[in-house]
Amino acid sequence: MPLFGGKHKTPQELVRNLKEALTYLASLNDREEKKAAKASDDVSKTLLAIKNMLYGSVDQDPQTEVNTQLAQEMYSSEMLLLLTENLPKIDFEGKKDVSQIFSNLLRRKIGTRMPTVDHICQRPRILKILMDGYKNQEVALNCGQMLRECCRHEDLARRLLYSEDFYKLFKYVEVSTFDIASDAFSTFKDLLTRHKILCAEFLEANYDKVFIDHYHELLISDNYVTQRQALKLLGELLLDRHNFTTMTRYISNPDNLKLMMNMLRSKSRNIQFEAFHVFKVFVANPNKPKPILEILLRNKERLVDFLSKFHNDRSEDEQFNDEKAYLIKQIKELKPQEEH
Amino acid sequence: MERKAGMHRPLVTYDLNPSQYELHAVIGTCCNGAGTVHLARHLPTQKLLAVKKIHLDAQMVDMKYLEHEVLMNRTMSHVNIVSCHCTFVHDNHLWIILPLMAFGSSSDLLAAHFSEGLPEAAIAFILYEVLKGLEYLHSKGVIHRSVRASHILISAEGHVCLSGLRFAYSMLQEGQRSKIVHDFPENFVNSLLWSSPELLGQSFAGYNTKTDIYSVGITACELGNGGVPFADMPVTQMLLEKMEGCTPQLIDMQTMPELQQATPGAHGEESLPFQRTFSQHFKNFVEVCLSPDPKNRPTASSLLQHSFFKQIRRKSGMESLVSLLHPVTPISDVGSVPTQDAEADLNDITANLQSVSVETHLWDF
Repeated sequence: MPLFGGKHKTPQELVRNLKEALTYLASLNDREEKKAAKASDDVSKTLLAIKNMLYGSVDQDPQTEVNTQLAQEMYSSEMLLLLTENLPKIDFEGKKDVSQIFSNLLRRKIGTRMPTVDHICQRPRILKILMDGYKNQEVALNCGQMLRECCRHEDLARRLLYSEDFYKLFKYVEVSTFDIASDAFSTFKDLLTRHKILCAEFLEANYDKVFIDHYHELLISDNYVTQRQALKLLGELLLDRHNFTTMTRYISNPDNLKLMMNMLRSKSRNIQFEAFHVFKVFVANPNKPKPILEILLRNKERLVDFLSKFHNDRSEDEQFNDEKAYLIKQIKELKPQEEH
Repeated sequence: MERKAGMHRPLVTYDLNPSQYELHAVIGTCCNGAGTVHLARHLPTQKLLAVKKIHLDAQMVDMKYLEHEVLMNRTMSHVNIVSCHCTFVHDNHLWIILPLMAFGSSSDLLAAHFSEGLPEAAIAFILYEVLKGLEYLHSKGVIHRSVRASHILISAEGHVCLSGLRFAYSMLQEGQRSKIVHDFPENFVNSLLWSSPELLGQSFAGYNTKTDIYSVGITACELGNGGVPFADMPVTQMLLEKMEGCTPQLIDMQTMPELQQATPGAHGEESLPFQRTFSQHFKNFVEVCLSPDPKNRPTASSLLQHSFFKQIRRKSGMESLVSLLHPVTPISDVGSVPTQDAEADLNDITANLQSVSVETHLWDF
């Protein structure tokens, strides 16, 4: 077997080497810089060899049998936990290789079984470490990538959504570093949209905690990007028919309507536009609760006047113009509720 | 040489706060006009920097692409790939803090002085560095897809960096390595001239990292001739010519002998255009890069061994690049570029005031 001869190592050897080097690297303290550099080199070389075995190379396809053995070794040596725990100590390229190894393994399938997903389900600590990764600049983007890989699997997404750690994301999407905040937002959005039924149940069950305690903060964030992305996602969530119950609750609250009406007048055109897509749901609701109806009635003339001048340069956007015309008509025809 | 980021703490930290950066003259634009690149001073260290400031509320700004470019910059670390110090959002602007590349891009050099092309020795040095950057990207499974003179930046010391990672594409996706790519980049119009026939053809056969090698060949012609091949024809004709295997050439006394007889005598030899002879090594380099069949194009790694690069002086390469670029000089101080007119700032302020004070539609809650 040429693959195992010569300088090629077997999966067992690779994983054993990695474990030894990683454990050694983890045991060193900050003052042992030289030893750490050497150990870190060993770790990264082995990680690269493992990545190339899993992915194949330009002229060598990955080999199913070898990869099965490799995966087995990774599971039995608790390598995924070890790698995530020690990620900050691994060098720059090594960290990226960890993330790519992780994403290849997570997609492993045996019949209908997904062995890596099961493995991580039994070790929720891995998810916790990944989520906390956003706190550390050095590993944030690598952890983000691995988290989104986890989000693809409903079982893991459920664990992430229903853990207290989920609410930390509301902080991470607002951090000052643009690249980390954007990455955290992608993860946040994936978690809230990827598995429709799971997401709908989660939002319904945790409506107050999500929307009142947390999401509101994002909508009034000082960070332009956070505010804009949160508003856009809110529109998408409310318009998704799976989230009907959540939508109904959201559009019954007059405070939410006031917020959107103010955002229609934001100095940012993009925020005005995203706010329009939430505002329209309040107006289109055929069963408007009394407080909502009253606000709309009180501002009837102003709204009609405002909307007829709103983003008139978007003449090429047919759907928007239709919706705007519909809203103006609806608002014009609003009548006070009759007392029963 | 890969940078071992994370092994040592950086000596200088860049705060995510606009007050740390004093903006001076605009030295470039980006994002179809929605962004400006400023010469700036980092106040804590007094060092010069470049600050890219992008107006995120502008219509032509696609956040998805910006995020991709920043992410690519963040995840690629090599001395020949441009790196950013930090990124943050202030008001509705994205600030990207970058090292100052004081000579600008290699296409700025053509515009500033070398309208008929750079000296061959300078091109050799520049492309050698570019290929080292590409070798790194390709080893990570990333295709750059937009190699061109304007994406090659040069520092005051003659250090060469590849930028423009907006179109970079990773072949390692979804847990697999793809051998061919079919993705056609969006908003790619400005880079079509440099693209390989297989990328432009969008055929079933797809393309791979060799598409970048073709772009290196076109860039070599651009730097040698002072203009991009095919630039003088409509896009469709350019496509056809490339598909039919037409290979652009370096223009010199041998490839264009008619230039010799053009206008002899009258104004002396110096007034003749393209009075030069490029080496056979350079011509061969361009030819192999532009092989119509991607299989016949060498990899970035093997091109680094090409005889064209024998002329580079290993030790003093950077210094000799700087001297070869004479009389073009790098930006050396904030005073060396005309300062930004105060009026623009004033306009900003009044625009802000207006949007605040026009409160004709106060809602009645």
